[in-house]
Amino acid sequence: MYEEVDESLAVQSENFFKHIKTFEYLDDLEMDIGIWDQLSNDITITPTSDHAIERHYSNVSLFDSVEHELKPYRILSTPVEIKGKHYLFAVRMSLVDNDDLVMVLASVQVVIVVLLAVAMLFVNKRLSERLWRPFYHTLNQLKAYELDKSESIQPANTAIVEFNDLNKTVAHLTDRNRKVFLQQKEFIENASHELQTPLAIFQSKLDVLMQNTTLNEDAAATIGELEEATHRMMRLNRNLLLLSKIDNDQFTESSNVDLSVVASRILDNLRSFAEVGGITFNTSLFPVVVNANSTLIEILLSNLFQNAVRYSGNNGVVEVLLANDVLTVSNMGQPLKMISETLFNRFSKEGVSESSTGLGLAIVKRICDFYGYNIRYSYVNGKHVFDVAFRQVEASPVA
Amino acid sequence: MKILIIEDEKELVKSMTQFLRQESYVCEVAETATEAGEKILMYDYDCILLDLSLPDGNGLKVLESLKASKKTDGVIIITAKNSLEDRVAGLNLGADDYLSKPFYMPELMARVSAVIRRKRFDGNNTLTFHEITIDLMGKIVTINGKSLELTRKEYDLLLFLVSNKNRVVSKNAIAEHLSGDDAELLDKFDFIYSHMKNLKKKISEAGGMDYIKTVYGLGYKFTS
Repeated sequence: MYEEVDESLAVQSENFFKHIKTFEYLDDLEMDIGIWDQLSNDITITPTSDHAIERHYSNVSLFDSVEHELKPYRILSTPVEIKGKHYLFAVRMSLVDNDDLVMVLASVQVVIVVLLAVAMLFVNKRLSERLWRPFYHTLNQLKAYELDKSESIQPANTAIVEFNDLNKTVAHLTDRNRKVFLQQKEFIENASHELQTPLAIFQSKLDVLMQNTTLNEDAAATIGELEEATHRMMRLNRNLLLLSKIDNDQFTESSNVDLSVVASRILDNLRSFAEVGGITFNTSLFPVVVNANSTLIEILLSNLFQNAVRYSGNNGVVEVLLANDVLTVSNMGQPLKMISETLFNRFSKEGVSESSTGLGLAIVKRICDFYGYNIRYSYVNGKHVFDVAFRQVEASPVA
Repeated sequence: MKILIIEDEKELVKSMTQFLRQESYVCEVAETATEAGEKILMYDYDCILLDLSLPDGNGLKVLESLKASKKTDGVIIITAKNSLEDRVAGLNLGADDYLSKPFYMPELMARVSAVIRRKRFDGNNTLTFHEITIDLMGKIVTINGKSLELTRKEYDLLLFLVSNKNRVVSKNAIAEHLSGDDAELLDKFDFIYSHMKNLKKKISEAGGMDYIKTVYGLGYKFTS
């Protein structure tokens, strides 16, 4: 640590000795040295009789009369002989100046390093932002991608080979998935369509067979059972067809529909069925207008009401409340045996009710999803409650 | 009464002719649009059953040429497509009714007789079965001249049964007819049974005979 200082002190003392040698011809050198000792601040040269002193470095603190504090100094003391007389030559140097210097140098260094680091970070960040932009573009598109709604992914063009590769792969993958998905959707619709004619033939044969007056009781019963099964098949197929038609966006026409009008018409129709089981309706309908396909709205409401009637016990009450963009349909009944999350799934049935296709609520859910309505099921105070919130984000459905 | 069935599914045609022929209907069949066009030009029919998907083109073309030649034959469109556009297009072209596959034969029967009645009697007509008289315009039923108070469903039920007289009609066919598109509910309570019971009671109270027979395992039959 003192290396620099010591060196500097040594050089000073060497120079002094060299100079004093050249002044040895002066007679009154001894007095000159005395004066010089008084005048010089950093150098003292005093006669000494102690011969044992050796050249050495030492640290001392001296009082600074200006700043009124002690300051550290480094002192080199060297015995010297001038014109046969012994002197102790001492040269001193402030350590404070040196520390300050070190501090200044160090801080400058630190500032440079920090600036450099910051600049590098900044440049790096900007650079990678630019580099990764196409990547994030693709990533965001992937995040927003919905198989049943989005078209294909449009990757940004980039000069980076790897990203280009990635984009191509992603676009290819999504396109292929979409194609498979569309084929699947189409397949269900086509399959249901194709089944209609054989079903019609089957049913027509049964109708003809029933007219046969020579049938015995066993044969008649068998035909009746066949007829029952065909009836279920027909209904199942019709519902599947309806579902796939909704999936395939075949209900594009929309108009302003007053739900209260549709609801009261359907309820009027249902009343004659419901009263056979002693079921009554407790309704409170206020006008709510939505922009939607009237057929789909009719199916949505009618399925909900039918569901409520179906799962009401004899002499039950079905409550229908339509107000403030919310439709609430509730009926008394035993709690569900199935998990309520699966209620809206296709083919999920409560119990082994033979007459249910298990598609009614799935259709309800699909229509709600199609228009962005929020449907909720809850079981409160022994009542099954369905809420549909008709808050449309947009006037037309997201196709 | 002559009916033309334009349909390329042979088995379906067979059932339809069998079922309809039991009444005093004469059925003719055309399997292609061309064949149908020829027959329509040559003869007059009381009712034409028209399948829209024919091997040589859309059935709507047949309907167009029929209307272009100013024929007044009643037309019922039958299709497996059940699309709204087809229905609208067909009815706009002057079809009288629309039935989507699969359907019940008694339903077809009821529609055919309704179309024929409309065409024959210019809409002003009554239907008589022994002492029962149904005024189709006013929707009034009288027994021996006494009018019968029926609910709408009971009236529909009676008309359906009379249209299918002497034929066995299944409960499902009745349910579909009465409820239209939403027959899903009807199995829960014996809806048909209770309406049938009420109808029988009202008819017998008005002094009518009990023509509604229960056919074991199958359904009902309206017969004298």
